[in-house]
Amino acid sequence: MESSIKNKISVAVSLFTAVILVTFLSCSTDETQTVTNFTNLTMADEFDLPGTPDPAVWGYDIGTGQNGWGNNELQYYTDRSENIIVEDGMLKFTVRQESFEGSNYTSARVLTRGKFEQKHGRFEARIQLPWGQGIWPAFWLLGDDSNGTEVWPQIGEIDIMENRGQEPTIVGGAVHGPGYSGGTAISKPYELENDRFDTGFHVFGVEWGENYINYYVDDVLYNQITPADVPGEWVFNDDFYIIMNVAVGGSYVGSPNASTVFPQEMLVDYVRVYSAE
Amino acid sequence: MKNTSLIQIKRTFVLGMVLVLALGCERDLTDDAIPATFAKVGDIFTDDFVSMGSDFYFPFGGSKLDAFSVDTEVGYESSASYRIDVPNSDDPAGNYAGAILRVDGSGRDLSGYDALTFWAKASRGVSIDAVGFGQDFLDNKFQVNASNLSVGTNWSKFTIPIPDASKLTEERGLFWYAAGTQATGGSGYVIWLDEIKFENLGNIAHPRPAILNGSNVIEETFSGATIALTGLTQTLNLASGVNQEVTISPNYFAFTSSNTSVATVSELGIVDIVGGGEAVITATLDGIDAEGSLNITSLGDFNPAPVPTVEASSVISIFSDAYTNEPVDYYNGYWAPFQTTQGQNDIQINGDNIIKYSELNFVGIQFAVDVPTIDVSQMTHFHIDIQVQGDIDPGDFLQVKLQDIGADNAFGGTDDSDDELTLTNTTLVSNSWVSIDVPISDFPGLTSRSNLAQVVFISDATITDVYVDNIYFYEISAEPTDAAPTPTVPAANVISIFSDAYANVAGTNLNPDWGQGTAVTEEAIEGNNALKYSGLDYQGILLGSAQDVSGMTHLHIDYFTANSTALNAFLISSGPIEKAKALTVPSATGWTSLEIPLADFNPVDLADIIQLKFDGNGDIYIDNIYFHN
Repeated sequence: MESSIKNKISVAVSLFTAVILVTFLSCSTDETQTVTNFTNLTMADEFDLPGTPDPAVWGYDIGTGQNGWGNNELQYYTDRSENIIVEDGMLKFTVRQESFEGSNYTSARVLTRGKFEQKHGRFEARIQLPWGQGIWPAFWLLGDDSNGTEVWPQIGEIDIMENRGQEPTIVGGAVHGPGYSGGTAISKPYELENDRFDTGFHVFGVEWGENYINYYVDDVLYNQITPADVPGEWVFNDDFYIIMNVAVGGSYVGSPNASTVFPQEMLVDYVRVYSAE
Repeated sequence: MKNTSLIQIKRTFVLGMVLVLALGCERDLTDDAIPATFAKVGDIFTDDFVSMGSDFYFPFGGSKLDAFSVDTEVGYESSASYRIDVPNSDDPAGNYAGAILRVDGSGRDLSGYDALTFWAKASRGVSIDAVGFGQDFLDNKFQVNASNLSVGTNWSKFTIPIPDASKLTEERGLFWYAAGTQATGGSGYVIWLDEIKFENLGNIAHPRPAILNGSNVIEETFSGATIALTGLTQTLNLASGVNQEVTISPNYFAFTSSNTSVATVSELGIVDIVGGGEAVITATLDGIDAEGSLNITSLGDFNPAPVPTVEASSVISIFSDAYTNEPVDYYNGYWAPFQTTQGQNDIQINGDNIIKYSELNFVGIQFAVDVPTIDVSQMTHFHIDIQVQGDIDPGDFLQVKLQDIGADNAFGGTDDSDDELTLTNTTLVSNSWVSIDVPISDFPGLTSRSNLAQVVFISDATITDVYVDNIYFYEISAEPTDAAPTPTVPAANVISIFSDAYANVAGTNLNPDWGQGTAVTEEAIEGNNALKYSGLDYQGILLGSAQDVSGMTHLHIDYFTANSTALNAFLISSGPIEKAKALTVPSATGWTSLEIPLADFNPVDLADIIQLKFDGNGDIYIDNIYFHN
């Protein structure tokens, strides 16, 4: 019962935020812009039940993937409570410097693949980021691979939030698709003035429709990506699932160094997904 | 400390009154009057000085006083900046640039800021030695130093985080810097600074305070010892991702002792050992636990080395609290790669500084590179107090080596000389002080003593833990420089044999021919006659008449000798019956005044004293030989 009341309140808040966003959009885009309000809550995890993350929603990537998940990342992902646990109303990722299965760091990566997938909508999470050289937290979406018939980047990737731990005031949002993936992804950074992402919670989200993806942090819309912005096929009209993880090292951030403090934590207060009415 | 804070409270109160009175026309003075607050201006220099008053520039002594100017052509997004012309290292007006900027008037309230920021560039890429704030040439209460700031040739912004802004409610020391040419090979350069100000950036986070540089230091010590906590730092993560460390004053911390019956710690981080036992000193900064701790094991009371008695004018001291010490390069050079020895002059017990060496294999005290060598050619003796901790086994040794580097004043070449004293278990005593006093002639290999450069201790790890104190050279001159002390006993109580102060026994022969080799002369020292026995074997004094001294209690003798190693004084009565009294030689420096109880001469007949006699060796000065009661 409690959670449903909370959900209603959140919906109202989101609605308010959405109105603000609409205002922004109407100012910054042309008159022919299609506006959709995503107000129908389709998934929410408030992380109120201590223990392991809700298995109905979250699965895990374990290990080091291929070539460090394609990025020469240094961590070993586990599903141990030392690395991932629901505690104090938060989903808590803990990045540790420890020798484990041949890696020097452990962390966690959770995903809703096969448990919750959705085409279009509003995806947002309230997160306090970890910090330090070589720490790479991310909240992102990957396209369904249509039973293995499609591979990345054809499946599409929407990065709602990525951060380099050595840049505590900057996050980025990006899309990856055929012809614009990896180093040529379409992306834009957003910098906080007089604040930072690792000392408090911030809401990171996208509003994703048929021909656009709007990126926002808290109540600030900072980017819109449309088919006109990408040099290849628009591959974002399909079911996508959610991934949250904290990587260590790799080509995007570089390795940790002596100044990096361990352990590091990423705290997620909630993840909420809405669809259009 | 109590007094200081009271004064501060008073001052604050007075200012508070003034402010309230100024508001008086609008409302009455009430109990709600709040303490005074101070100007919250953050700007220091933006194209020109901001609210600094007129008298705010205070260069460091030894720096080039006029190294600063306001540049009216160069500025960050402007045409004015704070310009520092760092002088060449050989500039006679000063070999570095350094100053504090202290607001002229009341301090500022900086509690709403989180950083000192400024834009800077330099005429060449340089590392500025130190920049910070909180230095006011008064108490430097909340000093912050950022070291080795890398400044390039283009304008860039620098951020020096405030360790705990709540402390800075009345700060006058707003900015300071020191820049030299050690890293530029002695060449001067220019630094331009602009928009120097305090800011509330809001993006400085993750404070990690530390004491003792974050180490958990273990210290074995004694009651009465004083240990100053060092390595006080705060590290904050800047928006740039840089972990900026600053060295800060103790006033930012709250220190705690886990056991105040063993150790107490002051607001200034001074740890006083007050008893035996164990205690851990930790600290917090703004409620956050500091990394690092001092883990004390106190062994209780400490027995200090004997206080030296040699007159300061005859001493050249390397290390002693009894004298003014010569400057040294170091008390431990940590000579790589083979030296294991730790420790230096870091023990202070009841105000007495002591060198503690541990893990000793070899270690040196040096005075040669940054300080002058020491000329000990006029000195005749060497003194050192040594206490070995732990057992001393047969075969264990401790060498004390003196190294002179000769007239070229440089290590190497053909004029270096050295020699060492080897101490073993026949001299050294476990856990007790041993005072070594040896003539320089015990170092025959030390052929030059005008450019002494090192005192080196070598044990090859046979002895590993030692305390060392009172390392000094001293001169025992061959003849006394002063007259013997003038006697003060009333003449009525005296029977005098040899003294200018009294009528002596008439007819006394000071040089009876008893077949001795001793040469006897009378020497006037500062107008006072003394007897001099040169090349003493034995020497008599034949009294003009037999004396009854049974009514007297003591025989007084003043004596001086720089080179005697044996000296006895005899009283002789008819028979003859004689009895010797050994005198301590050589006398330290100056005259030794001795009062020998006449009972010590039993069985000599005190009613019938006919002669005195001395035997031994060396050259002896004697004066004021008299009986008294």
